Amino acid sequence: MATATAGAAQAAPAPKARGGQRLRFFLAVLRARPAFAVGYAIVSMTVLIGIIAPWIVPYGPLVADPNVYLLPPYAAHILGTDGTGMDIFSRVLFAPRVDLTIAVLGTLLSACIGSSIGAIVGYYEGQRTWRTAIATFVMRSTDVLQAFPVFVFAIALVAVFGQSVRSIILAIAFVNAPIYLRLMRSQVLSIRRMRYVEAAYVAGASDISILVRHIVPNAMAPVLSQLSVNIGWSVLLTAGLSFVGAGVVAPTPEWGSMIAMGFQNVVTGQWWPSVFPGIALGLTVFGFALVGASIEVLADPGRRRILSGSLS
Amino acid sequence: MRILRYIGRRILFVIPQLFGIILVSFFLVKLIPGDPAVMMLGPTASAKSLMELRDRMGFTKPLLTQLMHYLHDVVRGDLGTSWQTTQPVTEDLFQRFPATLELISFGLLLAILIGFPLGVAAARLKRGPIRKFADYYGLLAGAMPDFWLALVLIYVFYTTLNWIPAPLGRIDMAVLPPEIITGSMVIDSLIAGDMDALWSSFGHLVLPVLTLGLINAGPILKMTQSTVERTLDSDFVRYADMCGLPRRVVLRQAVRAALPSIITIVSVLYGFLIGGAVLVEIVFSWGGAGQYAVQGVLNADLNPVLGFVVFSAVLSLIIYLLVDLLYFALDPRTRA
Amino acid sequence: MTGVPAAGSAILEVSDLWVGFPSYREQTLHALKGIDLRIEAGEMIGLVGESGSGKTTLARAIMGLVPPPGVIERGRVLFNGRDLSAQSDAARRSVLGRELTMVIPNPRAELNPVLSVGRQISNIAFYHLGVSRQEADRIALDMLRAVHIPDPERRFNAYPHELSGGMAQRVVIAIALVCSPRLVISDDATSGLDVTVQAQVLDLLQTMVREKGAATLFITRDIAITAHFCSRIAIIYAGEVVEIADRRRFFARPGHPYSIMLLAAFSHNPALRARWTRAEEIAGATPSTGCAFASRCVRRQTRCLNEAPSLRPLASGHAVRCHFPVEAQA
Repeated sequence: MATATAGAAQAAPAPKARGGQRLRFFLAVLRARPAFAVGYAIVSMTVLIGIIAPWIVPYGPLVADPNVYLLPPYAAHILGTDGTGMDIFSRVLFAPRVDLTIAVLGTLLSACIGSSIGAIVGYYEGQRTWRTAIATFVMRSTDVLQAFPVFVFAIALVAVFGQSVRSIILAIAFVNAPIYLRLMRSQVLSIRRMRYVEAAYVAGASDISILVRHIVPNAMAPVLSQLSVNIGWSVLLTAGLSFVGAGVVAPTPEWGSMIAMGFQNVVTGQWWPSVFPGIALGLTVFGFALVGASIEVLADPGRRRILSGSLS
Repeated sequence: MRILRYIGRRILFVIPQLFGIILVSFFLVKLIPGDPAVMMLGPTASAKSLMELRDRMGFTKPLLTQLMHYLHDVVRGDLGTSWQTTQPVTEDLFQRFPATLELISFGLLLAILIGFPLGVAAARLKRGPIRKFADYYGLLAGAMPDFWLALVLIYVFYTTLNWIPAPLGRIDMAVLPPEIITGSMVIDSLIAGDMDALWSSFGHLVLPVLTLGLINAGPILKMTQSTVERTLDSDFVRYADMCGLPRRVVLRQAVRAALPSIITIVSVLYGFLIGGAVLVEIVFSWGGAGQYAVQGVLNADLNPVLGFVVFSAVLSLIIYLLVDLLYFALDPRTRA
Repeated sequence: MTGVPAAGSAILEVSDLWVGFPSYREQTLHALKGIDLRIEAGEMIGLVGESGSGKTTLARAIMGLVPPPGVIERGRVLFNGRDLSAQSDAARRSVLGRELTMVIPNPRAELNPVLSVGRQISNIAFYHLGVSRQEADRIALDMLRAVHIPDPERRFNAYPHELSGGMAQRVVIAIALVCSPRLVISDDATSGLDVTVQAQVLDLLQTMVREKGAATLFITRDIAITAHFCSRIAIIYAGEVVEIADRRRFFARPGHPYSIMLLAAFSHNPALRARWTRAEEIAGATPSTGCAFASRCVRRQTRCLNEAPSLRPLASGHAVRCHFPVEAQA
């Protein structure tokens, strides 16, 4: 039966019903591929910790106690303290607030901007009007933007907007938008030629309503999968920016900046200020990558079928 | 010749792109707040001397005039001077790019040596420990921050085991660097037959290369696995199986058919790493081009940033051109 | 076994072959339901059926390569006395392409796109015949000449995408025949070609196979093709052989309503077509108890819905799976 649902979901306007069945299939998939379940668990844990951090941490994330600086993990500070005497455990738990906020907002922003432009460009490309010229111009501009070295580009953008959380979000949105633009364009280009779209056109639907009702909903699956993977990348990029000093300002609890603060300590043998935030960061990105991989499998009817075959 | 005509068309196509890149980066860099004149003369400088300097550097002219001047200079190979190093940017970059290229070339070589065989093995075996390992390796390598992995490696191999020299630069201060021939210190010392330099530069190169290799093996592995898997599923492989060709021959044909995609991902990674290896460069004080550009942005030293962008764009274009030539050699369909 | 001459040495013996495709939470789909087929050395037999009738699955099962997740559930296939599906991968590969070969449709998609066609023929000779590379290349060139490819020296270095469909089909025939096989399976091999080219390629295939003394299993959707050169015709429907007969007998006195429907489809007489083709199939799937063809049969009776017919002899060398076979000429 699950295969039948898969087919139905692929067929043009996806029916919203059969939610219960989908949930059951989803749970069966998680049982068959436990790695996906791990991914969802990591992501929800990270989000949860970010939300409840103020109530569960033993110390304030910015409280420096000069009496206990650079102590290895022990009972009172289970992940040790950093060079200024701040509790690493508390800071690691607080970091998702900054990192996830930046990564999620930046990625969502880039997905919204990129995929709406991509959808419009894809829809109008190849029609012999002035709109085609604009579409071509947009695509060539995207080529130029993508030819930039990503990291230097992001640092330059943050420098232009001024060093703040908002600037980092904007920079992330800017460097990632071309990915969604291309993805959405290629999806729309292929869906545009399908029968049901032509049918809607013949039935006299307007361009906007064809795009919004018929094309975009069916082009979303790869964008969603990309979104999850991309949030992971953005966490990495945020941390990298902070590491070179172009991201969040120093004592803010943020994984990349914590790793940077512990840099010199590592060389002299105190590994904990850098290693623990790095593990938290890696786990989070790993979780988002797994979620992305699961969406990719679930959204691909062929792979979904193979998976459902292996479930029996 | 078809190939020459193709290259000619390709170059014609990239000139507007190059122009676009310079245009965007010029205005972007001009938007970065901070007054280079103040940075150069210090906060105590008089208003008059600041004005004079701005005037001399052309900052008082309209932006469009500045752009025309810059373009004019770029065409002649002049990228301006950096006020931090007080040297022409072109000279600085020619010093630093070889460092970056040595690092990322060896790093990617290692990444290929890890990712390619693992990817092929994982594509052949749909189940089993190798496949599992490959799946998790791909995800983990993509999740790990490279600068963090670099620190962990330093802690293990320098701080704890003391197997390698301190992570400062490309060669020990006390060792005389070899004469520059290829730009790669390891290869140059090998050519010069200088064992001390070779040992020292090799020791400095090991960890950054290991970092880049381990991280970038992830995408190479994934791409190899998915394309080889797809070709193993393709019609011509099924036909080769029906024709009873030996298994190793069929596998070789499948891998051969997957090569263009693998070359593509390697070239994309190479282009990305020119600027993307900067974090690893910083951790190891490598003195590469990316580091130079980042210092430029952070200190409102604009010419190095522009110069870096232009340099890396040209370099990427050269790489993509080489890749196209490889396609010509590998896939007869592109020759039509 | 019914309807099959007992004499002679069988190159292929398929007995009671069942192949099923299990699927998640659904009933296993049976692609082949008890196929019996026997091919003598040097014989040319035509296997006719519509798409989805199990023709290609049968071809794959004969080669021991049932596509996953399909499994052989019952019965066996003996090629030259050996069961290929039970053999090791290496042992099977030494038979495929040498003693048992395949002519495929749509060869431009199935030939390796990055190897020259000469090399692809030469590879077969090199790996199967154990000759040197130079010798293999020489054999390949001879084969290109034998399949009437114009300017073979130049075409030797051509890539599949540079050839026309008919030319590529000739290359595939050369690949199938280079090792002088015992059995050639042609699976809908000419379906993608223009009609005129199709006739040329078929003639070539027939001549070459005769020359090499190979037996042929000629699988097709087009019953008219088989009339020219197959010595026996088998009709397959929904995974079952529904009629098998010598060529003359089959075209003179077809016994199964489905066979007559196929033949009538080629007729220019609309009345004949109408008489043997049901305008509307009965709703719902075929009842699992009855005859698989019942829902489309013009001669259906109550018994057909309740009881599955078996393959019964109608005359010497002629068997039909029908409760009410057509006795008179159509």
